[in-house]
Amino acid sequence: MSKIIRVNMTTKKVNIEEVPEKYVGLGGRALTSQVILDEVPPTCHPLGPKNKLVFAPGLLSGTNAPSSGRLSVGGKSPLTGGIKEANAGGITSQKMASLGIKAIIVEGKAEKGTYILRVTADDVELIPADDLAGKGTYELTAILKERYNEKAGVICIGPAGEMKMQSAGITNNDPEGNSSRYAGRGGLGAVMGSKGLKAIVVECDKAFDAPVKDKERFKTAAKKFAQILASHPVTGEGLPKFGTNVLMNIINEAGTLPTRNFSRGRFEGASEVSGEKLAEVATQRGGKATHACHPGCVMRCSNVYPMPDGKVCAPIEYETAWCFGPNLEISDLDVVAKLNYICNDVGLDTIEAGCTLGVLMEAGVLPFGDGEAAIKALEEVGKGTPLGRIIGAGAAVAGKVYGVTRVPAVKGQGIPAYDPRSCKGNGVTYATTPMGADHTAGYAVTANILKVGGYVDPNKEEGQIELSRNLQIATAAVDATGLCLFVAFAVLDNEEGLPTIVEMINAQYGTNLTVDDVTALGQQILKNEREFNKKAGFTKADDRLPEFFYEEELEPHNTKFELKEELDEVFNF
Amino acid sequence: MKVYKIKFAETNKIKRVFKLLLEVRLYSGLEKYVQGAKYGKPMKVEMPDGTTGRQLLDKLGIPQEQVFSILVNGTHRDRDEVMEDGDRVALFPPVGGG
Ligand code: SF4
Repeated sequence: MSKIIRVNMTTKKVNIEEVPEKYVGLGGRALTSQVILDEVPPTCHPLGPKNKLVFAPGLLSGTNAPSSGRLSVGGKSPLTGGIKEANAGGITSQKMASLGIKAIIVEGKAEKGTYILRVTADDVELIPADDLAGKGTYELTAILKERYNEKAGVICIGPAGEMKMQSAGITNNDPEGNSSRYAGRGGLGAVMGSKGLKAIVVECDKAFDAPVKDKERFKTAAKKFAQILASHPVTGEGLPKFGTNVLMNIINEAGTLPTRNFSRGRFEGASEVSGEKLAEVATQRGGKATHACHPGCVMRCSNVYPMPDGKVCAPIEYETAWCFGPNLEISDLDVVAKLNYICNDVGLDTIEAGCTLGVLMEAGVLPFGDGEAAIKALEEVGKGTPLGRIIGAGAAVAGKVYGVTRVPAVKGQGIPAYDPRSCKGNGVTYATTPMGADHTAGYAVTANILKVGGYVDPNKEEGQIELSRNLQIATAAVDATGLCLFVAFAVLDNEEGLPTIVEMINAQYGTNLTVDDVTALGQQILKNEREFNKKAGFTKADDRLPEFFYEEELEPHNTKFELKEELDEVFNF
Repeated sequence: MKVYKIKFAETNKIKRVFKLLLEVRLYSGLEKYVQGAKYGKPMKVEMPDGTTGRQLLDKLGIPQEQVFSILVNGTHRDRDEVMEDGDRVALFPPVGGG
């Protein structure tokens, strides 16, 4: 039986609820955003008792559908002040789904103390855990696994979340126990910290036990979907070979790699921090160039990078390698790995941390290119010093504190690894997605740079609005299924892709959905999120890029971002 | 830096050589087809005037089907488009991420 677990941190009561009719066909982002819209007052303080945190596996999570174990975490974001869905890999989503958990909703706020939530097949328990306060995520995860169950999935926050830093993330572990699979963006870790919840331990030995109505039909569809992924050059070859960081070189060559806090589009040291280099070093040191973040992923884009100090950073994603590499003019992969590891342990979103360090370097607080200085600065976060808190507050706040004008952020959230001036489709997404600058929300790099799903010239305005709109709708729908967004590379190029996803959902739930219903679902999710943001006070003015993208030319293509009023057409459906 | 030379016929009596010097970078496994190449390391390649991407691949000995993207000065080009002297050429197999 499918259920919703509701935890009230004020009263410490746990309720198991039936899934209301309205939510039965929803999962992942569709469900988190719907619950937030239905239950959270849009003008509430994100760190107050009225905000809620919703954890939801995708519709297909816990089944044999390939790469379907993604977890959605939703709430009102302290970083943007708007609605947020942050999406993570890791093993917990499949466990939740296998236990029949549609969602965990955390509400209220503990007056004091630190708690963990323990979820098993028979029981849900809120347990005082003051002894775990202040622990880094790696140690915390190891302790909880030992204390309760070695096979547990542990969702948790680090000290950054406990200190309510607004770019703190929420993590969970991979199959080896690394607490590095983050629902990173938007500061939901601070929301969890504000409630006094340090971790959720989900105990279930099974990963593929979610109920499926028509097993034979499902098996056929899942097999077909695996073939679709295997036969596409990106999902079948590119991603498994070098992981996401293979992008470093092509984004650099395309001249849209934000370098030195978004002041240039190319970095001479790019290949030193690229996926090729990573694969080389990782293999030499006995790590892995390819790795699955959860059982059943066939694209295996992840990696295991052994660091010189004996610890491992798994994975180093492209966006992280970018934000600590070219963005800071650092070309040493060991430094990047160290910065990544610190973020994972202290519980901070890497992209936001990198953007913030870039702004601090721009301000002259530390020098560009100085890896040691960057490591020292980032270590301040865990100590909660004033500098540490500024870093934990994100790029927009750091820019204000130091009077910097070149601050790459939209709706208060740092802009990731593709400069909007020479990857204009992504610029449209950054400006308009309800999430604040988020590359995954409508990944136009596909058609702009990678020539997947057609080609739209990245340096021209034409076609970008439509491209971003279609991708944002499709992405919202994919985020509801629990499928990893990377399936989109194959789905965009294969007309059987989307119908096969729909077929899997129909076989699992006994529904009769069509491809049009999936598009409608994507649109509805975006409408819900926009409605929340509007009620929270957002206007068209919030759907714009920072001024400097309209004023300063980006080398090597000497482009500016030109789209303004046109951006208001993105959501005209 | 490795220089690949191609001999050109002399035109009439004037000793003129029509050739291009390209700056080529190979990535993501394509480097294994060219001896001494390393990913991201620029190589100077001499080619005749009017050279296309396709001809460049043949010259370098990289199988056509292995190359998914040809970027010339940061912009995607079809493999039958003609290159110019001094072009920065980057060759990629299928890549993706995000
Ligand atoms: S493709 Fe990568 S991020 Fe996506 S599910 Fe697989 S390993 Fe995780």
